[in-house]
Amino acid sequence: MMALVKNETIKMIKKKRFYVILLVLLVLVPIFSYAQLRAAEDKRSKFGTDWRREVQQAITDNQNSLGSDRVPEEWKKYRQIFIQQMKYYLEHDVNPRQPGAVAFTKEFLDNAATLFIPLLIMGIGSDIVSSERTSGTIKMLLTRPIRRWKILLSKLITLLMFVSLIVVATFIICYLISGLFFGYKGFNLPVFTGFKLQGADVDISGVHAVPQWKYILMQMGLIWFVSSVVAMLAFMVSVLVRSTAASIVIMMAALIAGNILTNLASAWTSAKYLFMVNLGLTQYLAGTPAPIEGMTLGFSLAVLAVWALGSLIVSFLVFTKQDILN
Amino acid sequence: MNSTSRVWRTTGLLSLLSTILLIAGFLYAVKDVIAPGAASTAGDEAGFNQGTAVGSGEESGVPPSEDAKLLNVTAIGDSLAKGTGDDTGKGFARRFVELAKEQGADSKLVNNLGINGLTTAGLLELLKEKGVQYSLGQADIIVMSIGGNDLFDGAESLQTAGRLPTEAELEKSVTEASERLGEIADTILEINPRAQLVYISLYNPFSDLPGMRKIGDEAVARWNHIAMDLLRQRDRTLVVPTFDLFTYNSQKYLASDHFHPNGAGYQIIAERMIQGIH
Repeated sequence: MMALVKNETIKMIKKKRFYVILLVLLVLVPIFSYAQLRAAEDKRSKFGTDWRREVQQAITDNQNSLGSDRVPEEWKKYRQIFIQQMKYYLEHDVNPRQPGAVAFTKEFLDNAATLFIPLLIMGIGSDIVSSERTSGTIKMLLTRPIRRWKILLSKLITLLMFVSLIVVATFIICYLISGLFFGYKGFNLPVFTGFKLQGADVDISGVHAVPQWKYILMQMGLIWFVSSVVAMLAFMVSVLVRSTAASIVIMMAALIAGNILTNLASAWTSAKYLFMVNLGLTQYLAGTPAPIEGMTLGFSLAVLAVWALGSLIVSFLVFTKQDILN
Repeated sequence: MNSTSRVWRTTGLLSLLSTILLIAGFLYAVKDVIAPGAASTAGDEAGFNQGTAVGSGEESGVPPSEDAKLLNVTAIGDSLAKGTGDDTGKGFARRFVELAKEQGADSKLVNNLGINGLTTAGLLELLKEKGVQYSLGQADIIVMSIGGNDLFDGAESLQTAGRLPTEAELEKSVTEASERLGEIADTILEINPRAQLVYISLYNPFSDLPGMRKIGDEAVARWNHIAMDLLRQRDRTLVVPTFDLFTYNSQKYLASDHFHPNGAGYQIIAERMIQGIH
């Protein structure tokens, strides 16, 4: 088994997929950092270094939009929770947007959790089985005197290994590069977490401070879970579909559909059983309201786990039974 | 062969370590979200305190220097303070800052805390917020507009319902709101013991409505009289009259909603403010 995993790992490295992903990060993170830097400079020209004024103005602006009938009720919910959070930060004299590489990384991970990182995961997951088929090497693999499920399992383990590597690499690259722009400090700055929405009010009884490094660790853990589930789904598609291109398109369409649905689906409540709308686990940490009423962290974890389990069962059943024709 | 072996060993080890780290983070996150508090006690307090120290050591409560020409403005109150009706969005607060700059003063708008529809009761609540207190504390001039919504609350909705507020209704709102106005002035002057409080008194937005002109005028005149009287008794206050501006010029100075000033209206209020201050 170990030998098989080793073989798969070396194949993965030799195919240079992982390097491509690192390269994508190395190119994109400086772009995001630069954009963020410009935004920060723009704000500084208006508010100086006085973050309290900026936060207070953000609160007032949002309060004004709450009174408008033109603003949809769901947006008001987001803004209400935002106002409460910002007031809480002011109350405790903590800058919610202390610039720094750590804060940037936190923000980046929040935004990357539902689409960007899953997309990277698909880059290695979608062709892990189908590429063997496209190139015909699958026959070589299956003629060896090893049970088929072991071959598939070794591929799965390799995939999950690389999922962990990608999540950690994202953090490292993000921190190191954005540090050039914003400085490397900020691991111990506090972040408030535990805001809960109770009807129209925000429940702050569970709010507590967490140092930023711990918050990022929690974010990464949740992203890791999401990524593993996406990897297993991509894995299943890769087993079912012969062509690598097709399997990438299928997974991509599903992910993007998820992003669209989270923006649209609050009225269609059964959409919460789809895996795509449950990818934003980090929002439970940040305290932003879930896209659909009734979603909680436990619920999302359960939905994702069921989907992952289902896709594993399908993958293994199909792969062990399937005839390899061409 | 040696190199592939090395690749395998480093990749394997790194991914194992990453996975363990991430699982730990995941479990911690689940615990923290589902049962907050349990996972976060002593360690987090340390982080929190440190952050506070960093935050307050840096820039908190640095009062603006004692320069006579420094005119930092914070606006607070209702939609007039916010600048509703001004197509440029500047309102009298930003227009005042522009005028002050033209006259060579070092002026900036600290914050515009105006909220549409704010009443005297709402403003009293607002003044308890720390962020609001901070913004007020940074100002040399605090511009306040309040009371209009107490007097004409729902006037717009009444108007659409085909009914205008009666004389008795207006009378009652004036008495109640003026009691709170004194309290507001005291609170603001206490929050910022240096700044000047500039109160923008009311005009009658209904002066072009025949049925409303008289009772509106009466209520507004009474309110302005009370406000003048209240603020006169306190130091560091200034009342800027606006009643006369809109009496015959409502076409010229009111926005299309017949309630808020337009850009020209805000400009002329800002000019009055600067005349009173310099």
